[in-house]
Amino acid sequence: MSQYLYIALMFVGIYGLLSQKNILKMIISLNIMELGLNLFIISTGYIKEAKAPIILFGNEGNYVDPLPQAIVLTAIVIGLGVTAVALMLARNIYKTYGTYEIDEIRGENDD
Amino acid sequence: MINPVLLIAIPLLAAFISVFIQKLSWVLLFGVSIFTAISGFFLQKGMFMIGGWKPPFGINLMIDDYSFIIIIVINLLFFLTLLSGMWELKKNKTILMVILAGINGLVMTGDLFNLFVFLEIITISGYILAASSDKYYSVFKYLVLGTLGSSLYLFGIMVLYGTLGTLNMADISQQFPNVSGSVKIISLTFVFAGLGVEAKLLPFNAWVKGIYGNTTPLTGPLFSTVFATGAIAVFGRIFGQILVPDSTLIFAFIALGLITFIFAETSAMASKKLRELLTFSSIGQAGLIITMFMIGGFYAALIQLINNAFAKTILFSYATKAYKSNGDDTINNMSGLFRKNVMMGFGFTVATLSLIGLPLFFGFYAKINMLQSAFALNMWIPALIILGSIIEGIYYIRLLVKLWNPGEEGQESSELAQSQFVIKNGFSLSLIAVLIGIIFVVSGIIPDFLTENIAKAADSLSDAATYLSTVLGGI
Amino acid sequence: MKKIIAILLTVAVALFVFTNLYSGDSDFKAFGEKSLEETVSKEFVNKTVDPQRVQPETGSANIVTSIVVNYRGFDTMGEVTVLFVSALGVALLGGVLRKKVTFRYKPGFIINQGMKIIVGIILISGIYIFVHGHLTPGGGFPGGAMIGSAFLLMYLSDDKFRTRIAAFKVLEGLAGSLIMIVGLVGLSTGGYFLYNFLPNGEIGQLLSAGIVPVLYVLVGLKVGSEVSNILGDFFIGEVEE
Repeated sequence: MSQYLYIALMFVGIYGLLSQKNILKMIISLNIMELGLNLFIISTGYIKEAKAPIILFGNEGNYVDPLPQAIVLTAIVIGLGVTAVALMLARNIYKTYGTYEIDEIRGENDD
Repeated sequence: MINPVLLIAIPLLAAFISVFIQKLSWVLLFGVSIFTAISGFFLQKGMFMIGGWKPPFGINLMIDDYSFIIIIVINLLFFLTLLSGMWELKKNKTILMVILAGINGLVMTGDLFNLFVFLEIITISGYILAASSDKYYSVFKYLVLGTLGSSLYLFGIMVLYGTLGTLNMADISQQFPNVSGSVKIISLTFVFAGLGVEAKLLPFNAWVKGIYGNTTPLTGPLFSTVFATGAIAVFGRIFGQILVPDSTLIFAFIALGLITFIFAETSAMASKKLRELLTFSSIGQAGLIITMFMIGGFYAALIQLINNAFAKTILFSYATKAYKSNGDDTINNMSGLFRKNVMMGFGFTVATLSLIGLPLFFGFYAKINMLQSAFALNMWIPALIILGSIIEGIYYIRLLVKLWNPGEEGQESSELAQSQFVIKNGFSLSLIAVLIGIIFVVSGIIPDFLTENIAKAADSLSDAATYLSTVLGGI
Repeated sequence: MKKIIAILLTVAVALFVFTNLYSGDSDFKAFGEKSLEETVSKEFVNKTVDPQRVQPETGSANIVTSIVVNYRGFDTMGEVTVLFVSALGVALLGGVLRKKVTFRYKPGFIINQGMKIIVGIILISGIYIFVHGHLTPGGGFPGGAMIGSAFLLMYLSDDKFRTRIAAFKVLEGLAGSLIMIVGLVGLSTGGYFLYNFLPNGEIGQLLSAGIVPVLYVLVGLKVGSEVSNILGDFFIGEVEE
């Protein structure tokens, strides 16, 4: 079942967050996690042999669940916003410390 | 009577307008904040549908006694925060208006996914405001943990949706007891982990020190009171009323809350800097309040939530202002500082004494009720609460002595040892200090008004049946 | 060492999820085996949430759109706000840099001339997508993202273009304010925030579905200007007023 794969993809992202020490790689991990989560959300609305929920297609009454699709639209846009802020932060971190490696960033919490 | 949706719509409208009329944004921000602070008292109670779609199909706002009192407290605190940080606003005015709308929506909403959206609004605004301290790496840590937390929360509620086919809080709380144990465990764990990030519970609070420890007079009170109160209030709503955990999980949640409390208070004991001390104290209080919500002591939890929120406003305002004026907040260098600003010293002292729960102050009622409801359960929870409170009392009293008394501990005070620190632009701070000091003294002597309203709020939280009938049977 | 702990932790949590979510007694509906009857979506598909209204309730042919903009319009309002805040945040954070980004290469002939041909097509497709959001797949967010991509192309191909951005701030704020005003008009005419106060018309027509196309066009404009703003801030830092 493909739903297993989506959850697994989410955990690949979480593993990346826990293990990576490069800020850009962490942002990518964050995106992978969100991607897996979004696919999982869509998959909760899937119904066998049902069609896209648009009335014009002439398949009345046999639709997949439209609510997860509406929710995933919101989740994607929120993910976009977070990623934009994260990338800008990464740029500022690079400007301040000259590096993207977490281990080389020192002195944030000390003063 | 004011329709509660206005508390979300008007700040947002003002935020959008302020983008293209930048000169007015100062007026808009203060106008909106005063509007919400006053209209909180005149809020219409009941269930409000958005777009006219009845729950569980549409989204609804829910104003019962619980969200009513939280809205009043949050909007007042927001206004006090603005006063404290009025020299720090700079370009953050639009974001502050969005935060005001977001935090009101967070407390009022009756839909789990809508709650996620509002949670994201305030966390993203939080990242941006926190970045004004130039500690970008700490903000990045906050961002990663915050996003991880909200993703876990979303996963939790989507598991619930896949099981129950609804996202409405009332509908879910009605069907939740009949759900199979395995789905219960998954959804509760993930929702708890997701909200735990914002509520600063132990495994998820690695971000707090970097953010709270580097706050400005604007972000300090904002994060430690407005955000914290909103997040913990949502925590109480969800785990006290909507998704009530069963006995095994609740044990784990209480344990986490208590561990957070004890661990944070011990760390605060060792802190040398004022903001760091207050940070750990905030974490500890969050752990304590969440423990109280989990063991069912809603009344005690609410009193302590409000007590802590008002106390932390003045504590954080003072600490961040001292840092802003002098570039340092090491406690040893601040000895005798209150002698220069007696008004602020008064507010700070009263707030601290109330926070640790001395008699004659409002916090006393919180501690008494807390112990009462904890003793009703078993012995080791109140024992740990008392232990933590004693630690907290020790370091706060030590702090007060230090700040009033110039010179080394145990020696005669001398003017020579008085701190060279000054507080710049201290007028608004004195105002807040006196206001909050008066609130604490008056509510300590005549607690009836506040305690009655809080008791009503606690009742409405434990009375899930009324909530259900208001939302699902309404109109 | 850290990686081993990370693997162990992730696998433990994943096992916890898999064993509980797909265990024998789990009520979680397995993939593809749910039915619409058990969810609130049943009413959305049939458009029978509120029997007191003129049927069908929302004239939108695309049911996802009717949920996004009408039934759960409050979420969309919040989501637009999230994007708004992050655009503001990118501008504020980028203001620290105060430096134009210069590329190591000069935009060549192909990108320069190709841009002139293709930008118009992308823009028109984007606008088409969000104007027809209530009829066909797509809507304000994909359409807005396409508009943003058109401006990305312009930024890449033309160095001089990177200064003409201030108008987006106005468009962004104006579209946002209009969304809120549409909501407040609903509150004053129908008694509910975001109430559908326009006639629904016939399903499948361009002018149908009440406030859905109005809101979706506004959302599309707002998302387009915000995405362009974010991209612009990445290239040139904050615009000074």
